[in-house]
Amino acid sequence: MAEVLLSGIQKRFGAVPVIHGLDLHIHDGEFVALVGPSGCGKSTLLRMIAGLEAVSHGRIRIGARDVTDLDPKDRDIAMVFQNYALYPHMTVAANMGFSLEHRGRPKAEIAERVRWAADILGLAQLLDRHPRQLSGGQRQRVAMGRAIVRDPQVFLFDEPLSNLDAKLRIVMRGEIKGLHQRLKTTTVYVTHDQVEAMTMADRIVVLNAGRVEQVGSPLELFDRPANQFVAGFIGSPAMNFVPGRCTPRGFEAADALLPLPADALAAHAGRDAVCGIRPEHFEFCDPGQGVAAQVQVVEPLGSETQLGLRLGAAQVVALFHERLAIAPGDVLHLRPKTGAVHLFDPATGLRIDAA
Amino acid sequence: MNGEISARMKVALYGLLCVLLIPFVFPTWWMLTSSLKPISDIFVFPPELFPTHPDWSSYAQVFTVQPFAQQYWNSAWIAAVVTAATLAISSMAGYAFARIRFPGANALFIVVLTGLLIPSEVTIVPLFRMFLKLGWVNTHWPLVLIPVFGAPSVFATFVMRQFFIALPAELEEAARVDGLGRFRIFRTIALPLARPALASVAIFTFLHSWNLYLEPIVFLSTPSKFTLPQALTQYTDAYGGPMWNIQLAAATLTALPVLIVFVLAQKQFVEGLAHTGLKG
Repeated sequence: MAEVLLSGIQKRFGAVPVIHGLDLHIHDGEFVALVGPSGCGKSTLLRMIAGLEAVSHGRIRIGARDVTDLDPKDRDIAMVFQNYALYPHMTVAANMGFSLEHRGRPKAEIAERVRWAADILGLAQLLDRHPRQLSGGQRQRVAMGRAIVRDPQVFLFDEPLSNLDAKLRIVMRGEIKGLHQRLKTTTVYVTHDQVEAMTMADRIVVLNAGRVEQVGSPLELFDRPANQFVAGFIGSPAMNFVPGRCTPRGFEAADALLPLPADALAAHAGRDAVCGIRPEHFEFCDPGQGVAAQVQVVEPLGSETQLGLRLGAAQVVALFHERLAIAPGDVLHLRPKTGAVHLFDPATGLRIDAA
Repeated sequence: MNGEISARMKVALYGLLCVLLIPFVFPTWWMLTSSLKPISDIFVFPPELFPTHPDWSSYAQVFTVQPFAQQYWNSAWIAAVVTAATLAISSMAGYAFARIRFPGANALFIVVLTGLLIPSEVTIVPLFRMFLKLGWVNTHWPLVLIPVFGAPSVFATFVMRQFFIALPAELEEAARVDGLGRFRIFRTIALPLARPALASVAIFTFLHSWNLYLEPIVFLSTPSKFTLPQALTQYTDAYGGPMWNIQLAAATLTALPVLIVFVLAQKQFVEGLAHTGLKG
């Protein structure tokens, strides 16, 4: 186990900058998820930590050592790849023990480590098989087994679940989290799936266009997004954004008036803003207390009901954890729950108020 | 109804294929059967498809007319060395062109490929002068060195490069994380996975060397140093006329190992070519 320190990391591919001076401190034993849309630089950052990609500027430290210029093999890291990258011509046991064998460890020790990892991951019956004889989930487990047999200082995961179906992804999510809780090895996990990041990570780093938008625990990011990008990226369904103006009466959007907390009104009256409300943060109210919204789409999901609504000129989504007898065309009276409104600067996208 | 029509179509198709097969199979059939006939029966009309009294004595005579066993050995070891050397060079060169980024790699590869465009007849005279200066005329060195550093090796390099390009980069990255250097990645990961391509390279390189004709007749003059294609031309009587039955027996013996190897390895051969993109 070790901490990972990234200082002033920049990466250019030719003249094109993809990471713009990034600083990040990953604590010893921490599970950190790097999330962001495609092309944001999260995989490039992970590959720089692994040593598979050279750093254009800045330093990387793992534990007490500066590893910026070291080869991957000298960094004491293990990586799980998106496509598993198992050696097709080797058995499961050979795949898992390959790095130890290459490092000249005694055969008995290799066999013991492989057996230990196989027991943890439920692979004991599959050790003599080749990767082509395994299912996607089993291959993923072997890839993890190959990483853990070495007992590295840091685990690096590059979108390891993206090739699995939705059901298996949930199972493997739990297994990876369980593995981390058991081994307590520092883990950096890249994903574009914010649900994966939210459910697994101690802290999340949200990246966008090569820059860190926000670093924080899953709930910090959910409850107090630093800007409109993070607010829209974290949470599913995504946060609703309604542009308008703070007035003494409330938040005036095109044909709607949203009630705002008194402190927000006092601080920002007269200011243009974007109001952010999560779909699950709407509640029903009496006419006159909230805003009238016309139902356009009803999506009953069993445990919850998702509504597509027209709120003045804006389209919003609302989520209720109950079954509702509502039909398209109905008019509902809704208001944001207390303390659940986020305001963002329309020019910079930065958070301007916490309700 | 449809099944009946398709069955008829199938029969027609197979019939057509059988007819088309005749020009390809007949020469081999004629070689095999004629090697078992007395010389007087070979050109009788109408031709006999099956020898009435198979006579194996031509096969014994093959070895008495000239040192055929020695010539067989010459062809075998030259082809084996050429194949092994070509596999070593082309796999490493192909890997380097596919996997190692260095300035001018593509330009260099195009320069290497132009080696395929120059016919061997064009280079044979300067090569002869060069080997004459080195004192290697009437030795087997030219028959080894010319294919290993010539067009067959270039083609093999192309085949290997195409294969290695298709190998997932993540495999190499995983190997780097596992602690392997470039050469060990090549030897323990890339090369074992390249078996289909190596098999096809081995087969066509072996065949090319086994069938080499121009170079032996230019560089070799002592019968004990001849290779098989050159030796086959030497089965003539005192008047220079061909001893057909003996020559065809020798030709059968020459073709036999090639046929066996191809039949055994044809699956890998086709698989290897498929990886190169040469086959649709």
